Amino acid sequence: MDADLLEVRNLTYRMFVELGRAPSAEEVAGAADRTGAEVESVWRELHRAHALVLNPATNEIRMANPFSAVPTAYRVQAAGRWWYGNCAWDALGICAALRTDGRIETHCPDCGQAIAFEVRGQRPDDELLLFHCLVPAAHWWDDIVFT
Amino acid sequence: MNLFRSEEHVERWVGRRDPGATITVAKLSELAHAWWSDRLAPDWQPAPRERNQAILDELGLTGDFWRLP
Repeated sequence: MDADLLEVRNLTYRMFVELGRAPSAEEVAGAADRTGAEVESVWRELHRAHALVLNPATNEIRMANPFSAVPTAYRVQAAGRWWYGNCAWDALGICAALRTDGRIETHCPDCGQAIAFEVRGQRPDDELLLFHCLVPAAHWWDDIVFT
Repeated sequence: MNLFRSEEHVERWVGRRDPGATITVAKLSELAHAWWSDRLAPDWQPAPRERNQAILDELGLTGDFWRLP
């Protein structure tokens, strides 16, 4: 990946973690000595490369995987904050990316009952839970929000 | 990509859709740590398809369902 893209990508991720939310293009631009339009242009390239996901209607960040920029059913407490994961995989991925333990809260999509567990030393403390993936790997990026 | 209380809950939720794949949350945690742990590293580079496929293969996630494009 081009060094210019990597610089903006890494800064965007760093700011996401520092802020506890997705940064705006203007915020990244201010930290990168670029214009907001330049950052949005790089973000669109990163989106095409599956390095982050934009909201097509606004060009704002929708996903900096594993982090979600919008509320989801997967809440993660880690590194002193609450985050949203894009899915169950990403919820555990937030602990992995932050290299820390955490707590994950969601609900069973079938019965609606709350699910909450801790991740300690990379191990979930409720090993009876099951992860289900509906979409085959070959099609994950066909519609990543649905996946 | 959801978490369920048991296989019974998975089957009821899937219903008439294609069955997908089910793994334990412990396996998912292994997958998540292998897949995402470098995501905030300053020297991060996008993983080539072969590396991602190797992560799946090494965790026993094989077969057509887990075959990346």
